[in-house]
Amino acid sequence: MRRADQVTAVVLFVGSLTLMREARSLQAGDTLGPGPEFLPFWLGVLMAGLAVMLFLQAWRRAPTEGASRVLPAFGRLVPIGATLLSLATYILVLEPLGFLLATGLLTAFLLGVVERERWTISLGVAVANAVVLHVIFRTLLGVSLPKGIWGF
Amino acid sequence: MDIFSALLHGFQVALSLQNLLFCLLGVTLGTLIGVLPGLGPTTGVAILIPITFGLNATTAIITMAGVYYGAMYGGSTTSILINVPGESSSVMTTLDGYQMAKQGRAGAALGMAAISSFISGTFAIVMLTLIAPLLASFAISFGPPEYFALTFMGLTMATSLASDSPLKGAISGLFGLIVACVGVDAISGLDRFTLGSIYLLDGFGFIGVAVGLFAVSEVLVNLEQTAEQVFVKTELKLRGLFPTRQDWRDSLLPIGRSSVVGFFVGVLPGAGATIASFICYALEKRLSRHPERFGAGAIEGVAAPEGANNAAAGGAMVPLLTLGIPGSGTTAVLLGAFLIHGLKPGPLLFQTSPEFVWAVIASMYIGNVMLLVLNLPLVGLWASLLRVPYKILMPLIVTISAVGVFATENNVFDMWVMFGFGIIGYLMRKLEIPAAPAVLGLVLGPMVERSLRQSLTISHGDLSVFATRPISAVLIAVAVLSLLAPVVRDLWRRTRARNGGESAGPSAP
Repeated sequence: MRRADQVTAVVLFVGSLTLMREARSLQAGDTLGPGPEFLPFWLGVLMAGLAVMLFLQAWRRAPTEGASRVLPAFGRLVPIGATLLSLATYILVLEPLGFLLATGLLTAFLLGVVERERWTISLGVAVANAVVLHVIFRTLLGVSLPKGIWGF
Repeated sequence: MDIFSALLHGFQVALSLQNLLFCLLGVTLGTLIGVLPGLGPTTGVAILIPITFGLNATTAIITMAGVYYGAMYGGSTTSILINVPGESSSVMTTLDGYQMAKQGRAGAALGMAAISSFISGTFAIVMLTLIAPLLASFAISFGPPEYFALTFMGLTMATSLASDSPLKGAISGLFGLIVACVGVDAISGLDRFTLGSIYLLDGFGFIGVAVGLFAVSEVLVNLEQTAEQVFVKTELKLRGLFPTRQDWRDSLLPIGRSSVVGFFVGVLPGAGATIASFICYALEKRLSRHPERFGAGAIEGVAAPEGANNAAAGGAMVPLLTLGIPGSGTTAVLLGAFLIHGLKPGPLLFQTSPEFVWAVIASMYIGNVMLLVLNLPLVGLWASLLRVPYKILMPLIVTISAVGVFATENNVFDMWVMFGFGIIGYLMRKLEIPAAPAVLGLVLGPMVERSLRQSLTISHGDLSVFATRPISAVLIAVAVLSLLAPVVRDLWRRTRARNGGESAGPSAP
């Protein structure tokens, strides 16, 4: 955590400086009182200060023996990556494929591939999930959900 | 006019079959909306306006008000069971509620949430009945410096909620404030940090950020272990469906305090259930003799924010009914509904349409009873949802989060916000940076900025305006104290440790 905190502090510090620079460029014409650049700029200043404090706090902490890593081993990152990828795909195909199909596919993928559940259960839950969500949101709550290019 | 007889007359109207039915519909719908992450009471009320257009004004408003405080009940359900806050006002409930669920005490948590909501909600309505006119006149004296002081205090108290590191809590809160700066600046009309995207003109939507920071990040963290391990961790034994006597003893005073504080925060126009829940949680943690229990499954950690948000919902009705000023986002939509139905909200509403006002107030009493009756038996139903193995629950959480976020504004962009903040939330969890202060910063950001800039404009740049006005000075003092408290406590502990070499006294609490 010590090393991670130091890295975080540096990232935050650089980010704060960027924020301050971007805020400066926002100066609008004359507004009465502080302008739109005021708060972002000073938030950047505060964040930079906190980043320095975080760095110092981490630096002064004695390094622990055999400290655990912050991020998990590569093996466990694969399901996380797969889930993120499938979620991103879902967002991209939601409107062309329509709600029912897209949600069904996402559920089936997450269950069948990421969780390695049996295909029979995966498909069953996928269909049920898509239908139930559709009923709740479309029928009960009146939210309009995307229909795909095939019309459902 | 005699308040008591006016209220009785209101009950006569509220107890008509039609009004009873629609009250029931409203609170049930509200509970459902509260349970579903992504669909908030504001959206629910807004959707209902055209639907209830054909009804008379009283029935329509009774329904929509039911949705409003009903959602406060429902929001706690998913917070407790799957660590996904259904509403921004139930974010605090996740901290202890979910921990209780993991310890097999979901029933007690859900039960306490419902009962605390009922007690505080009823208290708020009683207060509304008794002192609405008085309170409204006091709240008018809250100017921009007082609003800034209030939000500043809310934020600083929230950073003390970061159990291990107030520094990281402050970083999180600042992050939230910075995120809130994205979008069109209300005062100057200039768009900030929108990177040319029209979707960012309104800033990052709260729901996308919150669902991403909480639900999606939790799913990602859980994916690090195999599903079987997670299953064991979240296996729910229903140790007891109801709070124990000890739970009651622990929660009674917190409920009382949250009712009072929550109500007053709700009365303040612009400050609503969310801020109330944050302040009351922090207050209870501060006052507790065992603050370390908070975040690990303390029943007061559920009772306090849940009571606070219901009390605030009641409080928010005060400025709406007495001044025509919305006390929160949802009451702003309700105000629109008033106008559509030909009512003239404002100080004279009590005079021009007393039957309407008192009928709505009476129906709020009835609605709270209905919600209690509805929710307690359903506790078993909700809790049994968790017998479903996590393997299957995970995709359901992902899909319902995504759909819920989409449903807020029918905008795919909101899902990208959820996606991005899901990744950020995952990193924050790994780095042990708490997410709750960020969410508070996001919610309070606009008000912080507006009140700060207005205050400095009024005072011509003089910062002492915050210290010279009495209410603002008090609030700022509390805020500064709560910021310094961890530092002082640390120094105290270190001096005690240094001097405690010879004496075998206990270490500082």
